[in-house]
Amino acid sequence: MIKVSVNGKIKELQKGLNVSQMIEALNYKTKGFAVAINTTFVPIAKYEETIIHDGDTIDILAPVQGG
Amino acid sequence: MKNEELRVKSEEWEIGGKTLKSRMLIGSALYPSPANMEEAIKESEAQIVTVALRRQSAGESSGNNFWDIIKELNINVLPNTAGCHSAKEAITTAQMAREVFGTNWIKLEVIGDQYNLQPDPFETVKAAEILVKEGFEVFPYTTDDLVVAKRLVDVGCKILMPWGSPIGSGQGLINKNNLKTIRKQFPDLKLIVDAGIGKPSDAVEAMQLGYDGILLNSAIALAQDPVNMAKAFKYATIAGRLGYEAGLMQKREFASPSTPTVGTPFWHQFS
Repeated sequence: MIKVSVNGKIKELQKGLNVSQMIEALNYKTKGFAVAINTTFVPIAKYEETIIHDGDTIDILAPVQGG
Repeated sequence: MKNEELRVKSEEWEIGGKTLKSRMLIGSALYPSPANMEEAIKESEAQIVTVALRRQSAGESSGNNFWDIIKELNINVLPNTAGCHSAKEAITTAQMAREVFGTNWIKLEVIGDQYNLQPDPFETVKAAEILVKEGFEVFPYTTDDLVVAKRLVDVGCKILMPWGSPIGSGQGLINKNNLKTIRKQFPDLKLIVDAGIGKPSDAVEAMQLGYDGILLNSAIALAQDPVNMAKAFKYATIAGRLGYEAGLMQKREFASPSTPTVGTPFWHQFS
């Protein structure tokens, strides 16, 4: 298992997951969000090839009201 | 009023590759309820609404409900990078926004001071340069500083959004001279007064300066009646633009009678 920060909370994940597998493991069901790992954007096209590592900081952002 | 309004509204303008009728950009935050936000946006007849991105927990759906409402309005969305304090943060947020919202428009906001939420000019220019190269249409939130405006234009910005006054302050246009100077120096640029507008007369003033539009949120959302305030700002924006296009009279130091002096009645002859 590895430990990562997801939206500021520590989560345990299986080692070797890619971004798609991570999203499934974290139980994100709704669409319409974007992912950044260690403050770098990961486009959907790179979900399969991007592997999550121990200590990664992951941000999953979705639409909200803004000014 | 009705005919005048229709005439002005029929004059289309272009920004970021889109042809629009409304010159008012409206925010989607701080309303008493999502339904109130929806009604206010509709009443404003704005064709651009600002939105943002924030962390979402697994299973959380409130954010998506909001997004569903906005999508149904079928107007242009302008995602912002609010809350970013560095070029790197703003660039990442912009890239994420492009994927989520499906637009290359970005309201670039890089805050340099937490007290007055003043934009950081150095990080804003740095981020703008990279985002323009990446194909974004950058709407940079900036101060009314002419040199910063020049630097943003130098790196490829075709739109500038100088503040009227600090975000959410409702202080109106605190430095009209600087805003006038920017308009004069960049006659072909799209200029939007963003932030600080507190009342409809501020919108009129901004439009009378020749600005292409206004962007506001708090003044509508925090009004006692946001829906009617949205309507007030709609008319104010139209009135200001019409006033600008009609050409304001020059100020004079002395009074000048408007009623003809020729043919003044007899009693003045005895004074």
